[in-house]
Amino acid sequence: MAQAAWEKPVSVSAPAHQTKRGRRWQFIIGGLLILGAVIALIVQGMNAGGRFFITVEETLSNPAYVGQSVRVSGAVVGETIRYDAENLIIEFEVAHVPQNVAEAGAALHAAANDPNALRMRVRVENQVKPELLQHEAQAIMTGTLNENGVFMVSDLNLKCPSRFIEGAVPSLGQGGA
Amino acid sequence: MLLALAASGYAVVVSVVGARAGRAALVVSARNAAILAFPLLTLASLMLLIGLMTQRYDIAYVWQTTNPSTPDFYRFTALWGSQQGSLLFWCWIMSGFAAAALVLNWKAYRRLMPYVIAYTMATLAFFVGLTFFLENPFERHWIVGTEVVKAAIQPVGGRVPTPTEIGVFSESARGLNPLLRHFGMIIHPPMLYLGFTGMVIPFAFAMAALASGDLSTNWIKATRGWKLIAWLFLSLGLILGGRWAYDVLGWGGYWGWDPVENAAFLPWLIGTAFIHSVMIQEKRGMLKVWNMFLVIFTFSAVIFGTFATRSGLVESVHSFAQSSIGAPMFFFWAAVTLVSVALILYRWHRGELKDETHKTGLLSRETLFVLNNVIFIALTVAIFWGSFGAPITSELFMGTNITLGAEYFNAVTAPLFIAMYILMGVAPLSAWGAMSVGRLGRALLVPLGLTLLTLAALFITGTTSLAALFGYGVVLLAGYVAVYETVRGALARQRTAGEPFLRALLAIFGRNRRRYGGFVVHLGITVIGIGVIGSTLFQVETQQTLRPGESLTIGDYALRFDGMVNGAIAEDGRVMVIANTTVLRSGNEIATIRPRHDIFPARRQEDMNTMMIAGAHSTLENDFYVLLVGWTPDTATFKVYINPLVNLVWWGGLVLILGTLISVAPQQTLPSRVRARVMAEAPA
Repeated sequence: MAQAAWEKPVSVSAPAHQTKRGRRWQFIIGGLLILGAVIALIVQGMNAGGRFFITVEETLSNPAYVGQSVRVSGAVVGETIRYDAENLIIEFEVAHVPQNVAEAGAALHAAANDPNALRMRVRVENQVKPELLQHEAQAIMTGTLNENGVFMVSDLNLKCPSRFIEGAVPSLGQGGA
Repeated sequence: MLLALAASGYAVVVSVVGARAGRAALVVSARNAAILAFPLLTLASLMLLIGLMTQRYDIAYVWQTTNPSTPDFYRFTALWGSQQGSLLFWCWIMSGFAAAALVLNWKAYRRLMPYVIAYTMATLAFFVGLTFFLENPFERHWIVGTEVVKAAIQPVGGRVPTPTEIGVFSESARGLNPLLRHFGMIIHPPMLYLGFTGMVIPFAFAMAALASGDLSTNWIKATRGWKLIAWLFLSLGLILGGRWAYDVLGWGGYWGWDPVENAAFLPWLIGTAFIHSVMIQEKRGMLKVWNMFLVIFTFSAVIFGTFATRSGLVESVHSFAQSSIGAPMFFFWAAVTLVSVALILYRWHRGELKDETHKTGLLSRETLFVLNNVIFIALTVAIFWGSFGAPITSELFMGTNITLGAEYFNAVTAPLFIAMYILMGVAPLSAWGAMSVGRLGRALLVPLGLTLLTLAALFITGTTSLAALFGYGVVLLAGYVAVYETVRGALARQRTAGEPFLRALLAIFGRNRRRYGGFVVHLGITVIGIGVIGSTLFQVETQQTLRPGESLTIGDYALRFDGMVNGAIAEDGRVMVIANTTVLRSGNEIATIRPRHDIFPARRQEDMNTMMIAGAHSTLENDFYVLLVGWTPDTATFKVYINPLVNLVWWGGLVLILGTLISVAPQQTLPSRVRARVMAEAPA
């Protein structure tokens, strides 16, 4: 029983008027159009979604960032966390952490526990408090700094805290790491 | 691990020497060494597992990922719960794939085998070496003076901790991150690793074809099953990752365009392009160079994704810790890619990768498949640029770091996904070689008509959003074409064989699993598409604080708060705070759900973790998804989402998996009655 009954056969007879050169040009023009469309999409997308990824210090020190949507990373200071569950408002402070540090865990620990570290107030509205919003967690926040120096967050991400204890060792004292 | 490293290193050298010298005994020896790596790594993984199960807190990895209150089940899953263990697990899976490929393909593809051994074992040796020297999961805690030191071998002046000291260690053991205590997360990493490591087999066969000069379709035939299996696991891993995010992260979504998510999506996109374009080479002898590039870049994307995830290259919510493996992984990735591309160019330059024909029409199936490839590659480039290209380039050349958020990905990928669905609908109706506009238009009539009828029905029943109707139309067309082509095939079979329809349907799946399995996959992608459109465009949410007996309303639903259960203790020691609620629709009680908070006790306050567990009433129509976001002795605050059609995303995933399983099943080449006759007539 022939498979061809329900399989489309291979047909190599291209229409006669389509010369090889003509077809090649059609493919080239089509390819260029697609390439152009994809580049246009990427440029348009970058205009819509591109943001500077900066530190707390850069955010607070440069007035040009006030009112501009940026992405900021900092260490959460646990004792400053306030959560209004009824109205879904989260407020806390993040401490400055330099970018590209070799030991992220140590840098977050140092920043979050240094009372002299530069801190920025943060407010998140209409968001459930993430479980990872804890002392020393790294907050990666998208939002805008308002004129009162409060960073209004539209998108809050927190890194999994277990990452930062990789490399830690136990101590021989009771329960301390 | 060291023995596995030696075995894989030996296999690389001896297989190449054997192939070059034409000495079969050497190649056999290399094969045996390559296969030996699997039991050796099995043993290493078992040793770590025994350490986890028997609570050996003198092993640093065990201390880091478990604690005395961790249930046995999660002790098992801790094997891949952190960097070192997951790397060992990765090596074990890769060695398993390599051993299986060598055993199953040994006789049929002898000429390719020496190089398959060399490439699989070179990759394995790299990862085993990386794990052993830089991220060793067997590092122990040693006592040096009064300090605890972590090292793989006993340091000078160090001693083994006493049982009492190990007991002290156990008190500060960390335990598995609560976020990982979810069904989706338990099997999501293994599925992804299976998908990632499985891609090494098609890559190795392609490289073997280039190295050996056997550039026939042998390497494609050999890898057909392997690539589909790897693709299946990768798909499953992505779907389960989405399900985990939906259940655990509490934002009512399942895909956040995070760089690590995207890193897993990139090989899936290129792999999908390859699955389609390789058919053109098989049917028409075209796109030989392109297919080589695709299979190599699929694997290259796997290595890059692993590098990006594990090196701390990008800021992601679920990347691993910054570690010293970044530089070696980068060089390995660059070397793999450059050597592979150089080999392709070498064979191309020698004219060995010439296409057998160039004749093709503008609307032929191969042209439409090429267009489909262009769309997949455009998606890959756009997502790669957004996740890695723009941040890295801006940092290198502008001295600042620019990241691209979800707005970028939504703006760029939405039109490309629309194009993908349109091609998914049109391409299967076209024919190889040439197709006229009229013929294609006639073939489209029935699916297009069904699509328009469905859209009309949706409009009449209240879906008036133009964006939704357009999206549903594009997606439904692809689904209807898959169903239409399958039914047409069964009807043709019914006419020619005189069989009942259902039997004819089963018969066509038996005779051409790849084609009809592919249609089932398309159907799965259609169902996922409908789920994505519904849950993205029509999600509604509300929040309210309630006293017991009070209700909130959302749409035609209501949620009644019946009371709290505070302090229930689960078997594994979790303390649970549970809200008892009832879901009502149009005044009728339809379900009771219990959103809750799990509190994981720890010796120290700062080690204590809590986890919010959503309650959901799930139907195909929607998910009524409830989060308990706060409570007092008298009240509870709830955030409620209605996510229309979201369950179609998971059901579509299951259909996709079913279709892939059909495609990957061994092809039945003769009808069963003919086979039975041949068997009966065969001499005993």
